[in-house]
Amino acid sequence: MTTQATHQPAPPAELAARPVRFAIVGAGGMGATHAIGIKDDPNVEIAWTVDLDLPRAEQLAHKTGAKATSSMEDALADPAVDAVVIALPTSLHRNATEAAARAGKHVFCEKPIARNAEDGLAMVAACEQAGVTLMIGHVVRFFPEYQRIKEILDSGELGQIATVRALRTNPPVQERSPWFADVEKNGGVVLDLMVHDLDTLCWLLGDVERLFAQGLTYTEAQPRRDYAMASLRFRDGAIAHVESSWAHSTHRTSIEIAGQYGLIDFSSDNAASLTIERTVALSDKLDRPARVYSRPAVVSPQQRELRHFIDCLQSGEPVMIDGHAGVRAITLANSVLDSMRTGRPVFFNEDGSVAA
Amino acid sequence: MTTTGAPALVRLGIVSFAHHHNYGFAAGALTLPGVEIGTVWDEDPAIGTAAADQFGTTFEPDLDNLLARDDIDAVIIGSENVHHARHAIAAANEGKHVLCEKPLATTVADAQAMVDACERNGVKLQTAFPVRFTPSTVALRKAVRDGVIGTPLAVAARNPGTCPHQWFVDPALSGGGAVMDHTVHVVDVLRWIFDAEFTEVYAEISTRIHDIPVDDTGLLMMKMSNGLPVSLDTSWSRPGNWPTWGGVTIDVIGEEGVLSLDAFADVLEVAETRNETFTWRPTDSVGDSEMVRGFVDAIRNDTSAEPSGLDGLRTVQVTLAAYESARIQAPVAIAY
Repeated sequence: MTTQATHQPAPPAELAARPVRFAIVGAGGMGATHAIGIKDDPNVEIAWTVDLDLPRAEQLAHKTGAKATSSMEDALADPAVDAVVIALPTSLHRNATEAAARAGKHVFCEKPIARNAEDGLAMVAACEQAGVTLMIGHVVRFFPEYQRIKEILDSGELGQIATVRALRTNPPVQERSPWFADVEKNGGVVLDLMVHDLDTLCWLLGDVERLFAQGLTYTEAQPRRDYAMASLRFRDGAIAHVESSWAHSTHRTSIEIAGQYGLIDFSSDNAASLTIERTVALSDKLDRPARVYSRPAVVSPQQRELRHFIDCLQSGEPVMIDGHAGVRAITLANSVLDSMRTGRPVFFNEDGSVAA
Repeated sequence: MTTTGAPALVRLGIVSFAHHHNYGFAAGALTLPGVEIGTVWDEDPAIGTAAADQFGTTFEPDLDNLLARDDIDAVIIGSENVHHARHAIAAANEGKHVLCEKPLATTVADAQAMVDACERNGVKLQTAFPVRFTPSTVALRKAVRDGVIGTPLAVAARNPGTCPHQWFVDPALSGGGAVMDHTVHVVDVLRWIFDAEFTEVYAEISTRIHDIPVDDTGLLMMKMSNGLPVSLDTSWSRPGNWPTWGGVTIDVIGEEGVLSLDAFADVLEVAETRNETFTWRPTDSVGDSEMVRGFVDAIRNDTSAEPSGLDGLRTVQVTLAAYESARIQAPVAIAY
């Protein structure tokens, strides 16, 4: 099937002269975060909120001044809509992106791009054919610590990079969002958390030559707990250990990079620049620790990634994280799953595809 | 076994200070009741004489003489890795108990010959793994075994350090770099915590940081016989101006939570302006003395010395399998 756009996207000059009109597809956690994050931006108008669960779409519409619908077709048929934010379960990304591209809408799609590289490549092709922009929400690149690390590495200050450790933990997710834990459909902790660091490390260090992984994804511990460790060897020779967990008590990230001339270490624990310590519980219903750490320096990276997407639509510049970056990350993530399952390393071709 | 308050005297001979750990072990020994350092030997008379002064004993320029002395009960060997086997076997043949610096040897054949020689001569062979004796590691083992985090599911560990240079980076004396130097501690501790063997290893090993003829960067992905996946970073990745030598961290991920060991985190941060240094100084370092205490107690009570020679041998097998894996770019099974 060819993907001929039914509607031509507005050129950058037009988008620069008026607010960019969005449809938010998926009014769950991420959809709401994105919608609320940009609703007060004078360059943005939220025209539609879409969710199969209409009351949920209505609730978000009410907060953002949009119209609500349970059918994405309603939003895509509206010629006033310029772009969509796709915040659906991963397995639905491809169909939603292809439909948006056919309708001539620019696409901002949550990570991972799709459940597999094949779907991701189809999304890239659909958007290229329709002449619309596709950006993948690998939001970690918009956290200040990773941007600063990128500057330092690019400056050459550390010389040749030797070894990297990246960690990302969350509490067990199964109780909160059971759909997440379906490994076949959604890939467990590897496609939820590790895919962030896989994208970020490629951004920092280039392409991966081979990887090996082990963890709990295919053990009896699933679906109660999930945990994965991957060893990456980059084409330039650097070695990385990537660790992702749905078995810790809190959200935590860290990254350490050791090179020829020195070492960078970041831990979200140490970066908590404001701590609130209360001796009286805020509420007896809240089962929360009395110490709450925060990082006021981190101003909504989700807002900043969408701001970048909007800037690109208005300037015609390429986005920082295109569909190919999304495909690279999902290829690596699925290879991590494969290695965990087979107990064998996975090797990659120069173009990033899995070697036979 | 003594029945009075005073423990039987154990007289130690120190064999080589090539490995700086032997200064710590000698100092630890002197804190113990009923332990004497009878004499010290080093290939370099200047080092040997200075060490003899430091520990209030004599320098013996001839190792054979030291090993033949009747007033020496046991030796602590801290020579270059490749010399461990020769020194340990000679000591065993003279009836001396042996506490040997890690790695026990650089080949399985050497390690096995050491174990055999000590067994044949009826002397103790202990491998110097002081990490086992740090209070935090002892507490980690107890917490795992008490089920504090439920069923253990996976382990992520690291033993990074600064590059020790000197003979450590000469493969003819060290047998290898960071992987040879830093695999064995954590492997020993995990075998001890879980009563399980390492059955498979996949490794990435490289020289990326220093201009040296051995590896300085290593990442091992391993499996234990109890099914646990384990990762271990062995790199000499701490810069020369890092506030301490390195460290040992072990995260045990369990069904009901996570235990995180940072074995050498108990430090004072000291900034000193005259030498422009910023260092982390341990608030205590009982690991060395407790390890030597275990050795002399085993001699006195004729019980098994632990970590044993066999423990040392097992860790050498894992280390060599890691090098083999990196060479063939595939997991290597470890047969015992």
